[in-house]
Amino acid sequence: MNTHTIHTDTPAIPADDYDTTAFYAAPDTIATVTHTTAPDAVPLPSPSASTADVLAAVREAGRRAVPAPFAETALVARPLLRRAGFPVPDGPLSYAIAPELTIRYAHPAASAVGSAGCSGENDTLLVSGILRRVPWARTATAVIVLATAPSGPVLFTLAPDRAVLTPGGNLAGEPRDDLHLTALEIPASQVRRIPRHLLDEAGHRAALARAALIAGAAERCTELTVAHTAARTQFGRPLSRFQAVKQEQARLIEETALVGAAVQAAAAPLDTGSPAAAFAVAAAKTQASASAAEIARIAHQLHGAIGITQLSPLHLATTRLWSWRDEDGDENSWAVRLARSVTATTLWPALTATP
Amino acid sequence: MSSSRPSPLVFPDVTLPESALLLRTEVRAFLDEEHARGTVLGRPDSWLAGWDDGFSRRLAGRGWVGMALPTEYGGAGRGFLERYVVIEELLAAGAPVSAHWVSDRQAGPSVLQHGSEEQRRFFLPRIAAGQCFFSIGMSEKSSGSDLASVAARAERTAGGWRLTGTKMWTGGAHVNDYAIVLARTDETGDRHAGLSQFIVDLRAPGVRIEPIRLMSGEHRFNALHLEGVDVPDGMLLGRQGDGWKQVTGELAFERSGPERYLTTFPLLVSLLRELGQRAATAEQLRQVGILTARLHSVRRLSLGVAAALDAGASPDIQAALVKDLGTRLEGALVDTVRSILPTPADPHATPGTHSELLAFALLHSPGYTLRGGTNEILRGIITRGLEQH
Repeated sequence: MNTHTIHTDTPAIPADDYDTTAFYAAPDTIATVTHTTAPDAVPLPSPSASTADVLAAVREAGRRAVPAPFAETALVARPLLRRAGFPVPDGPLSYAIAPELTIRYAHPAASAVGSAGCSGENDTLLVSGILRRVPWARTATAVIVLATAPSGPVLFTLAPDRAVLTPGGNLAGEPRDDLHLTALEIPASQVRRIPRHLLDEAGHRAALARAALIAGAAERCTELTVAHTAARTQFGRPLSRFQAVKQEQARLIEETALVGAAVQAAAAPLDTGSPAAAFAVAAAKTQASASAAEIARIAHQLHGAIGITQLSPLHLATTRLWSWRDEDGDENSWAVRLARSVTATTLWPALTATP
Repeated sequence: MSSSRPSPLVFPDVTLPESALLLRTEVRAFLDEEHARGTVLGRPDSWLAGWDDGFSRRLAGRGWVGMALPTEYGGAGRGFLERYVVIEELLAAGAPVSAHWVSDRQAGPSVLQHGSEEQRRFFLPRIAAGQCFFSIGMSEKSSGSDLASVAARAERTAGGWRLTGTKMWTGGAHVNDYAIVLARTDETGDRHAGLSQFIVDLRAPGVRIEPIRLMSGEHRFNALHLEGVDVPDGMLLGRQGDGWKQVTGELAFERSGPERYLTTFPLLVSLLRELGQRAATAEQLRQVGILTARLHSVRRLSLGVAAALDAGASPDIQAALVKDLGTRLEGALVDTVRSILPTPADPHATPGTHSELLAFALLHSPGYTLRGGTNEILRGIITRGLEQH
């Protein structure tokens, strides 16, 4: 971006202006969607793709600000459905991790103790509560909900149109909708009891997906800034020739590389699970969220006035950074979890993934 | 994914080989023994300040000094990533590695790459045995970041060269055996082309070593006065006039290793030991977590550069990037540790206490972003590097 190539056709994206039908042109492809700077489709990874490949695709979706629940579908919902033994439906998916839902069995067993019913004739549930700020709920064909039933952790699928939807959005205009459930019956066929580690994995997948999106948006900030400071001339020379600009731009490049490395390092542990995954994911989301402010700050500062307008696509990346750093756990909450997992004697073994 | 993605942002993700995992366990067992012996004290900046020739020899006895050198020259023929594992274990434990540090990191690889067969046969087995310690003679009073301006000169004599000039900040010159000195062999023409490297015996006549005390009072640095030192022909390292090329070619090795982010790691371990004795607050945990995430992330970048080096690439921009990120983290870690657990920094407190380690790391901290190329200069390299893609 520079003053010679202003994209005057780059629009703002209002929260409710997404063409949801364009999400899927073909079963495995997210089509070019209107109102985005993403020129090409980002292919949705195949079910057999490695976690590293899925992660790379999510990062690319973040870089292009793809206006669709790409990360939510590819890295969170689909793998969780597979893990829980559900078929994976076509179409955009979302998720909600909601331990606070009130869940009862719809048909309590005759021997059940108490009104909540600690067991049921079958697993049909009655669910009440609010799923808050569900990403892209209005466009999703199903929301994967992870919750705690009287019997323990469960995963169930919910068609969003069965709930009362209150629309909402984040700074970037991405839908973040509340879904109100009032004693909603979820048929047993849509419910799976899951082991506790799958609940942990869901949290890890959500956080890593968000971190990977941040890594992509950070790359976009760097690309746009490097192009701008090379093209924009003041005092007779490109901005990039000014020492003060070089120093700041290098920090931007570094911080972006740092986030990318942290995200990439979590791919392999995510597949193997448990302590290594918990550490790598917590570190990735902590770093991605912590770096977002500096990345957005430098990118805007070096862009000058045009960066704070819709004449530049920079805002598509920076507003996402400011949103995504808070979603699925901000840097502070993940940092505390990370710190709780280490002691003086286990810190180095954790960093090297070698007990 | 996209051809427009700036390539210096892409680092290979590294999965260490099984052999490296086994090696890590062996190194930890060795460190446990040394810990019991009282040599490994968990001190910050142990690659500058921990000089212990006995430790270096025992390490060499395990094949872990000059370990990437070929076996025919006494090395262990191990890979660069395996060397990385050993180095990071040593630094994380705060082991005293400064005696063999330069021999292992620079002199060995440099003699292997540029040296004559004679030099290789003489120096490499001694380096790998921990019996030959090197210093670096590059900086001068008027040549810091602008290294090409060195004034030390080497004049032709009958059997070799006579070196005159003064090298500054020469670490360990008072205890080591040799220094690799960058000197001017041609006063005319291109200032880069007139430089050559020499191996100088630090006990040769005409060598005068004058201590330069650090602000902590420690004697690590020296002025290395070369007062007409005769150096035989056989001690020219590489080709005459290639000094600049040889020096800059090694920078990626020097800039991206674990010593660029682990220097103050032992202080964080000390903090966790202190925090373990009380109930840490959420704010203390938060700050520890932020540091931990950053350490982890920088380590992954550094490993990426190591993998690229192992594959024969020269990732200079990535190495500069790791050095800037890592050394800033080393300093920030000290400040954060201070803020997490207010402790008087006292250099005279009992050695090894948190108070003394904090003082030590703090007094050393301004050096982290200076040595190995001032960070401000490195950032210029990074910005230029990315534009060219």
